[in-house]
Amino acid sequence: MKYKLSTLVGATAVAIGLIAGPAMAEDAGIIVYNAQHESLAKEWAEGFTKETGIKVTLRNGGDSDFSNQIVAEGTASPADVFLTENSPAMVLVESAGLFAPVDADTMAQVPQDYQAASGKWVGVAARSTVFAYNTTKLKTDQLPKSLLDLADPSWKGRWAASPSGADFQAIVSALLQLKGQAATADWLKAMKTNFTAYKGNSTVMKAVNAGEIEGGVIYHYYYFGDQAKTGENSKNVALHYFKNQDPGAFVSVSGGGVLASSKHPKEAQAFLKFVTGKGGQEVLKNGTSFEYAVGKGAESNPKLVPLVDLQAPKVDATTLNSKKVTDLMTAAGLL
Amino acid sequence: MAPWLITAAISVSLLALVPLAFIIWIAVQTGWDTVSALVFRPRVGELLVNTTLLVLLAVPIAIILSVALAWLTERSNLPGARLWAWLCVAPLAIPAFVHSYAWITMVPGLHGLWAGVLVSVIAYFPFLYLPISAALRRLDPALEDAAAALGLGPWRVFWRVVLPQLRLAICGGSLLVGLHLLAEYGLYVFIRFDTFTTAIVDQFQSTFNGPAANMLAGVLVTCCFVLLGLEVLVRGEERYARVGSGAARYQQRANLGRATIPSLLLLLVTTLLALGVPFVTIGRWLAAGGTDVWRFDEIGLALGQTLFLALAGALLATVAAMPMAWISIRAPGPLQRLLEGCNYIVGSLPGVVIALALVTITVRIALPLYQTLFTILVAYALMFLPRALVSLRASIAQAPVELERAASSLGRRPLNALWSTTIRLSAPGAAAGMALVALGIMNELTATQMLAPNGTRTLAMAFWSYSGEIDYASAAPYAFIMVAMSLPLTWLLYVQSKRMAGR
Amino acid sequence: MSFLEISGLKKHYGPVAALAGVDLSVASGSRTAIVGPSGCGKTTLLRLIAGFEAPDQGHIALDGEVLANGGVAVPAHRRGIGVVAQDGALFPHLTISDNIGFGMGRNEDKRAERIVELAYIVGLDKAILKRRPHELSGGQQQRVALARAMAMKPRLMLLDEPFSALDTGLRASMRKAVAELLEAAGITTILVTHDQAEALSFAAQVAVMRDGKFSQVGTPRDLYLKPKDRMIAEFLGDAIILPAKISDGFASSSLGRIAVDTMERRDVARIMLRPEQIALKRTSREGMSGTSDMPFGEVTESEFAGSTCTIAVRLLNNSDPPDAAAIGNTPLILRKSGMDAPAVGEIVRLTVSGKAHVFA
Repeated sequence: MKYKLSTLVGATAVAIGLIAGPAMAEDAGIIVYNAQHESLAKEWAEGFTKETGIKVTLRNGGDSDFSNQIVAEGTASPADVFLTENSPAMVLVESAGLFAPVDADTMAQVPQDYQAASGKWVGVAARSTVFAYNTTKLKTDQLPKSLLDLADPSWKGRWAASPSGADFQAIVSALLQLKGQAATADWLKAMKTNFTAYKGNSTVMKAVNAGEIEGGVIYHYYYFGDQAKTGENSKNVALHYFKNQDPGAFVSVSGGGVLASSKHPKEAQAFLKFVTGKGGQEVLKNGTSFEYAVGKGAESNPKLVPLVDLQAPKVDATTLNSKKVTDLMTAAGLL
Repeated sequence: MAPWLITAAISVSLLALVPLAFIIWIAVQTGWDTVSALVFRPRVGELLVNTTLLVLLAVPIAIILSVALAWLTERSNLPGARLWAWLCVAPLAIPAFVHSYAWITMVPGLHGLWAGVLVSVIAYFPFLYLPISAALRRLDPALEDAAAALGLGPWRVFWRVVLPQLRLAICGGSLLVGLHLLAEYGLYVFIRFDTFTTAIVDQFQSTFNGPAANMLAGVLVTCCFVLLGLEVLVRGEERYARVGSGAARYQQRANLGRATIPSLLLLLVTTLLALGVPFVTIGRWLAAGGTDVWRFDEIGLALGQTLFLALAGALLATVAAMPMAWISIRAPGPLQRLLEGCNYIVGSLPGVVIALALVTITVRIALPLYQTLFTILVAYALMFLPRALVSLRASIAQAPVELERAASSLGRRPLNALWSTTIRLSAPGAAAGMALVALGIMNELTATQMLAPNGTRTLAMAFWSYSGEIDYASAAPYAFIMVAMSLPLTWLLYVQSKRMAGR
Repeated sequence: MSFLEISGLKKHYGPVAALAGVDLSVASGSRTAIVGPSGCGKTTLLRLIAGFEAPDQGHIALDGEVLANGGVAVPAHRRGIGVVAQDGALFPHLTISDNIGFGMGRNEDKRAERIVELAYIVGLDKAILKRRPHELSGGQQQRVALARAMAMKPRLMLLDEPFSALDTGLRASMRKAVAELLEAAGITTILVTHDQAEALSFAAQVAVMRDGKFSQVGTPRDLYLKPKDRMIAEFLGDAIILPAKISDGFASSSLGRIAVDTMERRDVARIMLRPEQIALKRTSREGMSGTSDMPFGEVTESEFAGSTCTIAVRLLNNSDPPDAAAIGNTPLILRKSGMDAPAVGEIVRLTVSGKAHVFA
């Protein structure tokens, strides 16, 4: 009996190894460190594989951990392509000198405003900062005029954000560029006393919807994504766009780049070209991501407020400083 | 004693010490000024208060609850005691983060310290219930008789005789619960309660392996050591084994009388909170999601990968524990205690700390091992070595050394003798240990996320990814599968604890 | 009136009757032993007296106070009855001093002095008080258990095989010491044991128990020499049981004419002799002739075991016993002094002293 038991365990282990082993070891194709929403990247990867036959393996994570990870990995990074939700992560990898130049015809598919002047990375999508609020708790005349208003003591305990996410950190990096270090540090300090921390923008919106909190600083597409599904987490939510070149009207550019150390540079470049091209940008228009398309002539989902109407502040995406932001946020006790 | 066994045991222990050495090394590297700036800041104070309060509240509540439940199921005439006993162990089958996923669904606004205490107690009390009920079963009933004959009423007998003898079980269980509280990530993210572990992951996500994350890890490790030290202090050098040699009489079960209904209510409420809430929630989301959420290609892949990682990790941990277990039974001494101590200390480190160390070490020094199957399996082996060790040691203790000697005298060479006797006989124990390690790996989240090879997506990772996007319905099948696979293993735990108590 | 009065006590565990109606009365300040094979119900009886369990039926009264009546029972902690269990049942988490003082109030007057005094009474060294139970030998543990039970000044002391875990040598001396100690303290004592020698030497009253009932209750001497039946006889010691024809206070058997302890009987019955009543005297085959009345035997086995020697004697001149078929040629087994014991093959003459007991 005892002998049988050990044999059984052994046999099971071998059998499962035979089944699952190959699943873990199959040819990976190009490896994409994907900080974008998994569902969006999956659509891009599937579309690309369908068009070219090149396999894509996604490693999913966040902007900040991946950018720092790539820097730590250096030239030995297994990644071929890096996709982000926001620009600061791109800037970090670029300044470490780890990107190869993006092919010229890929760059040509995207307007100058949405790419790095250095040519090391290219915008693949964009998102707008919004103040999502609970319609039963806040009237339109009670909404903040500016992101900076949220530092006011009158907003204590009334708004939420997800400070550990790269999305919010990108917004802070824009604030840093627009208003300078001292003002940003003050604002973060006030934020620490005023706001309630949630993990993830979806969770912020869910809390706003449930009336746990009056409003939250997130990106626009969470609302539209939920509306397109059941609307269960957004039925009491409306979006407030700050506009007026306010720091809170910041439009964040999601980037894509090819690693200089890539072992499949041709395939990696082709992937980026697909994402910024017609096929990739149409995924943004027709899919469930509700992010803005940035390709030349590409249309965004008609449900969205057009990009040009957002009155976003002029922010140089290529100099957004993520390291400084996490340091400031750590100092303010937000991290 | 075979020198290769000692060599093997020492190597395993040295490997186990790597993460710890790493944290110290990083601290030295970083320099005191930066360290003190990163450690002595208000945020760390906040986290310390949070973590301390959590442990100080959750552990005593869990102790009280577990003692009450254990007494009711083991020592009273509660109807259906055996079934209730298993139901008190079964919550272990539900990963802690699934517990809070369920709670956040039921009570959407749940957050903060008391929410943390509630869900922690519910998720982890079986770690106390198991040793306490085993100890209760093992108690010599003659002691209680003696106390009664000396004029003590039932309550005073419980306080002065029964409870003191549960001290070892309570200490051990509390340590286990405390360490889990320190190490858990997913549970506290859902209910928005920041502990050191969530803060380390936040830092990791913002800065990868930056010094801030490593210094928080250093503080967390210190907290773990404080717990270990406290346990040693409280436990003392006591010996609570039976003094006499006479056969233990079967214990009498107390007649609950009019307390039967309230007692049943306590068990019912506990079961409803610990099992009802998760099952109802998973069921609710599965119903809401319909067939759409059963993406079988995706789920199948995740299941296959999870099983593979769990079994390979369990195998590695068991093999790594073998020399140590053998030495600790056959040749106990100061060396063995030292080596074993190393392993337990590392086993008590949170997964996030071990993962952080291995990420940095492989990136900086051993790049070919970076993001490989090997590294994550090593991490699992380090994290779960104590589980394998405990089971193995118990079963080797039951394989008499005489058999090994007999095999040697019959002309077998040492390794062969070991294999054909002790290893054969300890196979069931090894299998049980493997199952427990596999259970741990299956529900592991933080280390897996940080270390997994590209393309890996375990059940826990998939669950976490979906629930992070508030797609609770798509997460439900993964929660369901994790629970369904773990339930048989908790049965194993239950049976093992009975056997260890000699019945 | 007796101190402890038990009547009609019954206790069932499921279908098994552990006690099937027990009556016992114990005089104040006396020592009683309950002896019986394991599983006879003696421990159950002790537990009912102690109050650890309630009887199904029957009545227990101590010093006029009803302790149990039917299913209604005073709980153990209100009975004031001391118990010393088989292995001492010392509290492993407490020092010896705390063990002894367990039943006293924590702030009781002169608690420490009392503990030292009790330790002295049971013969424990003062230095031992700070130790833990597991650091003590078995005998010391039993002394602690006794001191602990005496600390509460019990009305009645129950000893549950307290000496069985001890070495043979230690057992006898402990038994004597405990008996004297309890005597001096004037505590009524009941000892439960499966060791008949222990029971006989310890108590003034011995109750033999079998199958949940007392088969016989009496003084040790009465039980030993006048057991009610063969089983009791053999339980209490070696016995030689022979068929015999009884008349006028004498029995004629294979051992010849032997005086018996009754004048009334006049029938065929079995008689019992204790081996120590039979003396062996060396002789030779020649010496047998002419003395047909005297029983002779041949030593067929002789097993030397130090102080004693077990000798098997086959009777040679069977003078027509009434039940010859039953006894056949079964040799008599006698345990004799190891000194000068006859060797195998030697012829011996058997002489009986004292009276034989006639079974009913």
